[in-house]
Amino acid sequence: MTRQNINRFALILVGVVAFGLPLVLRSPTYLHILILLYLYAYLTSSWNLVGGFAGVLPLGHSAFIGIGAYASTILSLQYGISPWIGMIVGGILAAIVGILIGFPTFKMRGAYFALATIAFGEGIRVMVENVDNLGPLKINGPRGLQIPPTNIGFGNYMFAGKEPYYYIILVMLLGILAITYFISRSKLGYYLNAGGEEPEAAMALGVNVARAKLIAMAMSSFFTALAGTFYAQFTLYIHPKSVISLDFSFEIAFIALIGGRGSIAGPVLGALLLRPVSDFSRIYFGSTLPGLHLIIFGTVLILVMIFQPRGLQEPLTRAYNRLLDKIFGGTEQKEITHEYS
Amino acid sequence: MSFLEVKNIDVYYGDVQVIFDLSLEIAEGEVVSIIGGNGAGKSTLLKTISGLMHPAKGEIFFEDTAIQTAPPEKIVECGIVQVPEGRRLFTLMSVKDNLIVGAYNSRADQYANTTIEDVYTLLPRLQERESQLAMTLSGGEQQMVAIGRGLMAKPKLLMLDEPSLGLAPILIKDIFQTVRKIADQGTTVLLVEQDVIHSLRLSDRGYVLEHGRIAMEGPAKDLLNDPHIKTAYLGL
Repeated sequence: MTRQNINRFALILVGVVAFGLPLVLRSPTYLHILILLYLYAYLTSSWNLVGGFAGVLPLGHSAFIGIGAYASTILSLQYGISPWIGMIVGGILAAIVGILIGFPTFKMRGAYFALATIAFGEGIRVMVENVDNLGPLKINGPRGLQIPPTNIGFGNYMFAGKEPYYYIILVMLLGILAITYFISRSKLGYYLNAGGEEPEAAMALGVNVARAKLIAMAMSSFFTALAGTFYAQFTLYIHPKSVISLDFSFEIAFIALIGGRGSIAGPVLGALLLRPVSDFSRIYFGSTLPGLHLIIFGTVLILVMIFQPRGLQEPLTRAYNRLLDKIFGGTEQKEITHEYS
Repeated sequence: MSFLEVKNIDVYYGDVQVIFDLSLEIAEGEVVSIIGGNGAGKSTLLKTISGLMHPAKGEIFFEDTAIQTAPPEKIVECGIVQVPEGRRLFTLMSVKDNLIVGAYNSRADQYANTTIEDVYTLLPRLQERESQLAMTLSGGEQQMVAIGRGLMAKPKLLMLDEPSLGLAPILIKDIFQTVRKIADQGTTVLLVEQDVIHSLRLSDRGYVLEHGRIAMEGPAKDLLNDPHIKTAYLGL
């Protein structure tokens, strides 16, 4: 068996395990934890299109989660439109807002860009919190919107058990991973990378860096908003603090930075490592030390940034390759690991 | 019709004026050097021609089209390509991917596969290293990638900003030979250099830039023999 086959085999094995897990794991608590894990891996992969490939640090992605959640919920509550359609509407809306936010902010560098996106995210939250009705649309301010679980069924994106949600978010996650994989190997991926590292050199070659970034931002916002609809249908209750909170934006960035931004595996790895910390610290220390997980995240982030500035995916990829080298005697041509592109 | 014509431009960084009422002209097929010390405005001039900066006053014509307000991607479409100072490679991408990014513009994109063969013929070293990350190359090889990346954009006018910067003398020779070959294949070259002897020797004409103004201009041979240049730039 060649190395390539081993890699494929490992991927298929992971896929089979992921799809089979609900058959073995009956506890709704653990399924819930896994669903959130996949949700965060999905969100971080969407974020990665901008935050990873384009080399900027957006910290306002919760705005797009909120747009997706509110768009599909309002459409289904007030107009009886299926959340599946609402999900696409929310995605398109988020893409438009993403472009509008990206247009002025992509001219900024580093921390200024991050701060500007925080401001946009928080601005949208404050607006939603203070508006009860937007024209004919009932937003309900800080009280949020509740989705009555009356019409259970696939068409209504509403299920009694956790398993359907598990499979939906799993498929979404696999989809976004495939998309990021193809983008990272496409010309758009090269242009984003080039513009992120050496914007002036890329521009001197005629690369339209701003346009590449805006395309990435539109895609990233679109996919992020899809997760917003998922979140709304999963929890059946949304309010500004739950779907447009800075916590979301920060946790996505934490996961990306610790896992390895700009790589395909990084977001999944980061979610695998951090989500259990977050959930179990809430289960066991939720009453005594609320927010403990953020302290742990911060500490881990500092350590990772000092010792593995490109995230944990790099040493793990290296270790994995070395393991394969040992098994196969390192006979195959060695290539420098190239996860970043 | 002139090929490139820069007419009376003023360029500022914020409030600081760097280029004063500068004019120059390049004919098709020429190799022209711009020499001058640090801070003379050489790189600024190139950035202004390539659209990364815009002149506050004056005009720039390329093949009789005014380009002084055009964005860099439009200017690359016209055929002016700058190889920036200090190479500026995309260090975490492979050599081949660096070259592919060079063929972004629509004029070059469709020929990318044949252009890359031409670049490999001119710079065979790059083919040997095509799957390596750019950061793992030596300085000379990196400069070759930077030049190859510029050629991928199918330039009519190739502007090189200090290609010899930080290289060993033997590599500098290589680089200048490469530039000569590029010019012999019909590409017009605008060369900005501190290495006055080498750059003037391979050029047809030269401009001397001092404090943002053209101090002298003329055929490269005459400049090489000029007493002022000998004392100021060659230390003879």
